[in-house]
Order: sequence, then structure tokens, then C-alpha cells
Amino acid sequence: MIKHWNAGWFWLLDLVGASWFAWGIAEAVSRAAAGLSEHYYAYAAIIGGGLMRAVSVFAVQHFAIASAQQSGVALRAGLFDRLLGRPIATPISMGGSAVVAIDHVRTIEDYEARFMPARFGATLAPLVVIAVVACASLVAAGILMVTLIPFILGMILAGTAARRASERQLAALGDLSGLFVDRVRTLPIIRHFGAEDRIARQVQGATREVADRTVAVLRAAFLSSAVLEFFSALAVALVAVYCGFSLLDMLPFPDPENLTLREAFFALAMAPEFYLPMRRLAAAYHEKQLGEAARAEIAALPEPMAMRPSVPWNGLRAQALAIAWPGHAIGPLDFAIGRTGMIALTGPTGSGKTSVLAAIAGQVAIVSGDVTPVDPGDIAWAAQQPLILPGTLRDNLKLASPQASQESVADAVRAVGLESLVGERGLDLPLDHRGSGLSGGERRRVGLARAILSGRPLLLCDEPTADLDADSAEAVVALLAELARTHAVIVATHDARLIAAADMEVAL
Amino acid sequence: MTRRDETALLQATDRKLLRWAFVCALVAAISSILLLALSGWFLTAAAIAGAAGPAAAMGFNYLIPSAAIRGLAISRTAARYGERLVSHRAALGAMATLRGKLFGKLAAQDSRTAPDLSGGDASARLIGDIEALEDLVVRRPTRPASLIAAVFAVGLTCFAGWQAALALAILLAALPGLLAFAARRLTREPAAVAAAALGDLRTAFIDYAAARPEVIAYGLGDRVSAQLLDIAAPMDRARAALFRGEGVLAGLLLAYGCVAAALVLALATGPAAQVALGLLAATASVESMAAFARTAMRQASVEQGIARLATLRTLEGEPQKRIAAAADAASIALGDVAIAPGARIAVTGRSGSGKTRILEALAGMRPAHHRLAVDGMPLENCTADRLRGQFALAPQDAVLIAGSIADNLRLARSGLNEADMRAALEVACLDRRIAAMPAGLDTPLSEAGGILSGGERKRLSLARALLAGRPWLLLDEPTEGLDGATEAELVRRLGDWLDATGTGLVLVSHRPAPLALTRQRVDVAAIALRDPARSGD
Repeated sequence: MIKHWNAGWFWLLDLVGASWFAWGIAEAVSRAAAGLSEHYYAYAAIIGGGLMRAVSVFAVQHFAIASAQQSGVALRAGLFDRLLGRPIATPISMGGSAVVAIDHVRTIEDYEARFMPARFGATLAPLVVIAVVACASLVAAGILMVTLIPFILGMILAGTAARRASERQLAALGDLSGLFVDRVRTLPIIRHFGAEDRIARQVQGATREVADRTVAVLRAAFLSSAVLEFFSALAVALVAVYCGFSLLDMLPFPDPENLTLREAFFALAMAPEFYLPMRRLAAAYHEKQLGEAARAEIAALPEPMAMRPSVPWNGLRAQALAIAWPGHAIGPLDFAIGRTGMIALTGPTGSGKTSVLAAIAGQVAIVSGDVTPVDPGDIAWAAQQPLILPGTLRDNLKLASPQASQESVADAVRAVGLESLVGERGLDLPLDHRGSGLSGGERRRVGLARAILSGRPLLLCDEPTADLDADSAEAVVALLAELARTHAVIVATHDARLIAAADMEVAL
Repeated sequence: MTRRDETALLQATDRKLLRWAFVCALVAAISSILLLALSGWFLTAAAIAGAAGPAAAMGFNYLIPSAAIRGLAISRTAARYGERLVSHRAALGAMATLRGKLFGKLAAQDSRTAPDLSGGDASARLIGDIEALEDLVVRRPTRPASLIAAVFAVGLTCFAGWQAALALAILLAALPGLLAFAARRLTREPAAVAAAALGDLRTAFIDYAAARPEVIAYGLGDRVSAQLLDIAAPMDRARAALFRGEGVLAGLLLAYGCVAAALVLALATGPAAQVALGLLAATASVESMAAFARTAMRQASVEQGIARLATLRTLEGEPQKRIAAAADAASIALGDVAIAPGARIAVTGRSGSGKTRILEALAGMRPAHHRLAVDGMPLENCTADRLRGQFALAPQDAVLIAGSIADNLRLARSGLNEADMRAALEVACLDRRIAAMPAGLDTPLSEAGGILSGGERKRLSLARALLAGRPWLLLDEPTEGLDGATEAELVRRLGDWLDATGTGLVLVSHRPAPLALTRQRVDVAAIALRDPARSGD
């Protein structure tokens, strides 16, 4: 509901407060000039106007962030689901997707909470100021309006140059941070080769050079704010001079209106309000640049992959299967598995074994070749670092099959050798998302038990024995060999024992 | 504490520039106050003179005030522009110096004990902290300038009567403290909560991202995203509180200005024109204190950043110029196995058994888990310099710096010429590939090596290790990802190079071709651990 109206409306309430205040001081000064006694309503207007302004500016902030966060939460929920829960053709690094889903959303919230209300205020409030001033003095209102024309011209001239300059500045600062981050990241190898002094000199030289270059850029970047500053000061000066000469009856042209001091003073006090919304807008310009850049990056995210039409499960065949991998392609690979048996995908760390599993599961785009499209509901995945959601151990075992009976949970627990854990700490053992309190091996077994419980016929296992001690690894190998009698099992591994237990080895 | 840290971090700021920025800020603030005050006075005086009849109007000196008003409009603009430019210039210069210094300090550390900043988050935070500091420098001249401008405004208010001036003086004197107090109350807790919740969210997200294939396979996207939204909720609440706090502070400033105006009006005793002068001066002077509100709002988060930077700054040492004199080849010991200079050995064992760690420990990049020694001295007692003089590593994951191919090769040693580089690239079987690039050795690599494939990156890193000219070469899976023919050629050339230079080799590989280069194998399981209690980390 909040979404449909803009918090910038409160900037108009702020103008009401400003008008009260201006009227209050104009009334008080004109009474003093006329030698009349003071009146309480002038004070009431001054204080009331001030309070109204205070409430308005608070309300702008309050409603702006509420509405920005409302859309931010929706955006974030969509991104979480899209980045974590759906297959994407070209994978994004974990760090990269965290930046998109967390930092970019915050940047966009800042943009919506600061820039949007300011822009709304800047389009409407100056017109209201002109209307209010016109009630006191038509000529003063006209003066304000006339300053707007050179102001807009100036902004177009300076603004284009300034925008280009500030884009270049952002780029230059980005380069500088990039170089600095890169050299900090690679420090261990720099130290290893004893190149610290040379690289330190390079970093110092580069930062100095970028700083000097940036100063040159800033000269142009600050021009547009100078134009804004100049016209906002000029508006006050022109209104003051016109009203003064009108009151003195010394205008060089016939006085079109017979100004009183109260009207003149009111026009003067309102004059700074004319350019104030534009200054607020300028202050939020940086948020606008960052927010738009973040939006563009989110828009450029790869679309979720379309689901391949699947066929009923009856084994799997890969023919000349190739997938993209940073730097080179993986494959072509040929292998086939029936309703039972075990295939081992082998290769050193980083050779893309997990990606091949993901391609079989339809989560990674295939560059060429073909693989049987398996229904996602037929695939169980036992990860190297299994997913643990906050909840009990039982919940986590049943993640893939919430309907599973107590007996089948007990069977799965026994099959993966988790009885001692369950015996000691029970199925109601609370877990956090890191699985704190479970060893790496126990987590792995939770993942396997979950896969077994899911009752899905194709089991994909990612490095099921990595980092396990010899006895646990033997047990997992035996378990997988057992499972391979009733399931089709594909393991990604470089463990010789597991490879030996497989019916077929596919080397990447 | 923090104030001192801040001063220490910013000692490189150009004082002269800061003084100029202060002068500009002062002129801008005073022009701003005077512009409004003088306009108010001019209007009122003109109205009184106009009402007194044409003679009084003719006698009224309108030239000076009206010219002054227009002049002030120009001086305010020029001074603001100058202030922004000069203060940014001071800030950029100070930050360039600070970045350089911090980098120097970090570079001079021993990799085995240095703070780990290789993660994207740590380095991004470093950048953020430095940027927050930059903001601090930019705002620095504004505060004293607005204080002096406030004194000036009190002076102007004296025309309206001493009682009004006194009241304004008290109000203005209380304002910075009031703003700082309110900002502390409003921001300290939400700022800490927001920072902590952001960290939690990031950690949880990365954990779930690691389990992504499983999440997709079981269709758990909704549950995971609901879980993450729950974790994000405290962050959103804290951020909303910060935003509202900003609103409270801005509202406070506005209301304060109006109250100041009402007080000045109520206490004024002077003639009407001078009351107008004091009244508008009072309003404008409260407005000019906005810099205090902005600084106070950011104080909480800036303090955290300053504290983090200060710990980095207190690190000892400056980068030393390394003497490139070739060290005499040392003997090494892996557990009980002693290895003579110039020998070629392979360390074998299961994956995950710590082979890579042994190479990294010898290279001085990480603390050792195993009992290793150089010339009979335990590794942990060897200085980083001593290890550097002996070993050149081509790590399992080739670490390349952003820059050109030549930049990466030059890292190995100072004074390398093009012929040296080409010779090393030839041994690494990369010479033709690079010669075929239009810019040759000057071809820029993007951040992670971009245009080179994984295998090519490894060979570039190998060429770099060869160029270092150390007595020992440490190679971690040097031929991974190569086709058989290239692998055989690389092994042949490497063997010739080792023969020609008499360099020793410690190799980790699971492939038979490079293992043929070695004459001795050491099983990693046979190398004793340094301290069994620490073997788990």
C-alpha cells in the first residue's frame, strides 16, 4: 500500500511549514516596523511552522525507507530464489552472487529511499513555491521563474560535462581500488618473490597519479553544483533587491504592485525554498548513479534455464557431452548407466567434476553433445558440504521427503552409520545453518541419508569421501557400493578406493 | 582513542590545502548568513524609509546594501566551489598517501603471520574504510568554519539587542553537543546491529550458495530464501532505524532554527530593521551547523573503520629493497629425509594429505604443519628472507597480478630483460602462444588472468618461478590440464633446464610424466608433523 504513493509528498507538507514560518517572521517584522505591539500568532506560526517542518522531514525519511525496503525485500527474495534455487546457464561465483543479492539490493534501497522522494520534491515543490510567493508578490514569483531559465540552460551545459566527468571519476576511482585490491590479494606471492618494494612503489605511484587525475576531473564535476548554488543565491539577492526598491518606490519602471513590508519579507523568506528541492536532489545524485549501476547489473543477470522436457527414468546416457568451464571446455564425455550401477567421474580438484554432475541434473548449460533429460524429481544430490537448514536433525534428514515415516528415517540413519550420533543426541538435535556441532563426516552422512530417504532412483554424489579419515571413507565406499545395487549412482571423486568400487571410470 | 587514531591516519593531509578549504568554507558560511541577514535588514529599512516619504527614501543609501547582496551571492557560490574542490583535493592526496603507506606496511609483513586480506570481503572492507576516512577529510574544514560563522551570526544579532544575542549564543553553543548526543543515541546501536547482521547474512548466503546444486535438486529454493530473509530482517530494521535517526536529526535542526528565530524575536530590543537582521542571521546560522549533524550521523560507522585501519597502521616494518645476490643452495629436510642441494624429489600422498601445504610452507607463504628444515634449521626459525632466497614456487592455483604478462614475469626478479623472459616462456611451452598475441609480452591480463586458460596461467606462473633464479624450484601439479603432447614437451624442456642450471626440484604431482623428472619420492604420511595438536587447522 505504501508503495503506491511517494514519500516525497511530505516535502510539500514541509513547504506548508516553511510558509507558516515565513509568514510568522514577516508578520512580526512588519508589526515591529509599524511600531505595533507583538502578537502571539506570529510566534505560533514560527514555532508551528518549525515543528511541521521537523515532522515532515522525519516523515519523508520514515516512509521513504519503509517503501524502499518493501520493494527491496521483494527484490531480494526474487534474487535469493533465482541465484540459489534455480539453474542458471552460466554460473556466477559465490562471492559475485552475494554482492548482487546483498550489496546491490542495499544500494538500490538507498537509491529509492534518498533519490526518489528528492526527485518527486524537485519536480513539484518549486512550482508550489512559485504559487505561494505569487500570493504575496507576482513580480517576485516571476523573478524566481525567470532565474529558472538560465539555471536550466546552465545545468544542461555544466550538467553534461559534469556527468561525463563524474562518470570518469567513478571509473578512475574504480581502477584505483581495483589495483589496490588486486595487489593486496596477491601479496603472499609478491612477498614470496621479494618484490614488495617494487610493487609498493608502483602502488604509491599509481594512487598518486589517479588522485591527481581525479582532481582535474572534479573541477568539471563540481560545476553543476556551482551553477545550482549560484542561482539559489541569485534568486534570494534578486528578490531582495526588487522588493527593497519597490518599498522605496524607486523602481526604474512603473511599480506593478504596491508591496507591503509583510509581503516583501514573506517573498524573501520563501525565496531560498525555491532551489532547496533541487539541492536535495543534487545531494542524492551519487546514490542515483550507484543505484542505476546496480539495477543494470541485476538486469544483466542470466535468465534461469528453461526446463528440458524430461523422459521417464530408465537409465542415463551421455554422448559427446561438453560444458563450458572458465578458460576451456570440459568434455566431450561419453558414458551410460542403467537403473543400477556406479560411475566415477575423476579428475584433479578444479577440473569441473561438480559441473558435470550439475549438467546431468540439468543445472548447467550443455555446450554440445547430449545427455538424457532426467526429471528433476528423480535426482538425489549428496553434496560435499550438504545443505543444513536451521531446525532439528530430523527436519534436515527429511528435507527432500517431508512425508517420510519414522521407520524409513531410522533405516536411512542406520544405512549411513549415523546411529551413534542419533543414539547419543537424538533426532531432535537442533542444528544451525553451518551444522555447528557436527563433524564434516557427519554432515556428509546427513546429506547421504537425505538422498536415500528421498527415494529418488539417480544418486549424484560430489566428493563423498573427501577429507574423511580412512575408516569413515571405507564405510562410505561400502555404503555407495551397496546403494549401487538398487540405484544408479554417479560419483565425482579422485579417491582411488571409490574409483575401484565403481563399474566405470570417466576421466575429465 | 579514536580521535588519536584518526589524527595518526590523516597526518599526511596537506595542511596548506586544509587551511585554504577552511578559508573557503568560512567565506561561504559567512556569505550565506550575511546574504539573508542583509536582505532582511535592507527590506525593512527600505520599507521604513519609503513610509517616511520621498525625501527619506531619496536619502536612503540603497547602493551599498544592494550591491553587497549581489556580491554575496557571487562570493557564496565561488567559496562553496573552492571549498569542495580544495577539500576533495586534500582528501584525495591524503588517501593516496595512506593507501601507499598501508600497502607498504602490509607488504613488509611475513606471509606466515600477516593478517589475511586475500579474501574479497576483507579487501572490500579495507577500501570502504579508506573511503569513509576520505569523507571525514572532506568534511573536516566545514566544522570549525561553521563555528566561527556562528560567532559572527551572534555578533550580527547584537544589533537586535544583547539579550537576543546571548540567547542565540547559548542555543548555538549547545547545538553541537546536542547533535552529537542525539546521533550517538540514535545510531550507535543500529549501526552495530546493521554491520553484524550484514556479516551474518553474507556468511549464510555463501554457505547456502555452496549447497546450491542440492537446493535446486530438492527444490528447496523457497525455504532457503525464506531463511535468508529471516536473517536479513534485523539488518533491515537497523537500517530503517538509522534512516529515521537521520530524519530525527534533520528535523531537530529545522525545529531548532525556528525556535532560535522565535527567541531572538521575543528578546529583541533594537529597531525593526536590526531585528530583521538578527532574526535572519539566527535562522541561517543554525542551518550552517548542518555539517555537525552529518558528521555526527556517520561517526559510529566511521569509528569502526578507523579502528580497523589503525590496527593495520601499527604493523611494524617498511618494505625493504631486496638484494638479488644469489644465495648458496641449502640442503633441506622433510621430516627425517635429508635432501642435498640440487636434488629432485617428489612428495607423494593422497589428495588432502597436506602436500601443497609443504610447498607453501617452504615458500614462506604459510606456517608449516610438518617438521621441515633448511640447512638443519627448523623452518619456523628461518626468516622469510632466507626462505625467499632459496625457493621459487609455482603454486597449484596460479596467482597472477592484474597487469601485463611482462608485469607478472618481472615480479620474479628486478632487472629482467626481454630475452630472459622469452627464454623462460620457451621452457614453459608458452613462447609461441604469447608471440602470437598482437601485443606480445605487453598483453594485459584482466584481473584473474582472463585471456589465458587455466593451463596457460599455470605455465605463466611456472615461467615466473624459473626466472626467479632460486636454488630450489617448488612445483605443484605443473602439468594439470595439459594434453599429453604438450605435457611431454614441457617435461622434456623443464628437465633440460634443470640440468643446465643445476636447480633442485620439489614436485607435487599425481601424473606420471612430471614424476619422471624426480629421482626420489617421499610419502607425505612419512613426514612427521611439527606439533600434533595443531595438525587439524
